[in-house]
Amino acid sequence: MIDLMPGISSTSSALDAERIRMDVVSQNIANVDTTHGIDGKPYQRQQVVFESVLNAQQASDNPSSALQTVQIARIQNDSRPPRMVYNPAHPDANAQGMVAMPDINIHEEMVDMIASSRAYEANLAVIKNSRSMAMQALSIGKT
Amino acid sequence: MDALSALKMVAPQLGLQSLNPAQDAGAASIISLPDLEKLTPGISPQPVNPTQSTGSFQNLLGNFVNEVSEKQSAAGDAVNGLLSGKNVSLHQAMISMEEASVSFQMMVEVRNKLLDSYQELMRMSV
Repeated sequence: MIDLMPGISSTSSALDAERIRMDVVSQNIANVDTTHGIDGKPYQRQQVVFESVLNAQQASDNPSSALQTVQIARIQNDSRPPRMVYNPAHPDANAQGMVAMPDINIHEEMVDMIASSRAYEANLAVIKNSRSMAMQALSIGKT
Repeated sequence: MDALSALKMVAPQLGLQSLNPAQDAGAASIISLPDLEKLTPGISPQPVNPTQSTGSFQNLLGNFVNEVSEKQSAAGDAVNGLLSGKNVSLHQAMISMEEASVSFQMMVEVRNKLLDSYQELMRMSV
């Protein structure tokens, strides 16, 4: 395949990864009050772990100069214990009237969301510049 | 092909070979064909094989156009996938569309250059 736009493979994989990060952040924010998760326990905050991989096609062509792309290694559960809140009227309250709420800090999630959206924006800027590089190269020799 | 070997190929048609140095006082300054051979020992005039060279260039151009068309259809598939709710993300569709557009521009530029050189050749007065 001809490769007219430089750096597209890395950028594209980074955009994919940031999208998944955004998915996970939105899941955390949505489940901030979930006391009854899939396993019956309060929702556990999740976070993504990125890892870099060699571009498969380039690695087979020329292993020393292959670009690294990024992918989600795993989505990890946060190990923080649930926050205990006194609310005897809640259906999930225990005998002492305490409810185990997920320990999600909304400000932390907001910061994650901003970081993710800025990273997405940066990668889009790479694409924009890569395209303009290609178009400028195509106009070589024009008056 | 370099200028020297081109000259050698043209020389027989111009009748340079039939020039007799004894008849022409200025003939000493004309480089004879054996001298030209000495200047570039590795290169001997070879007739251009038209079918072979145009065939490979045709193939190259055909492959390039095929690849551009592949990129276009890949972009179409991505947009279709996105709009029909398959697992295609927005940026993937946009990127494949951009790639298709850039490679199409590239093809148009190549075509322009070819046409330019063809027209330049046609304008040449013989």
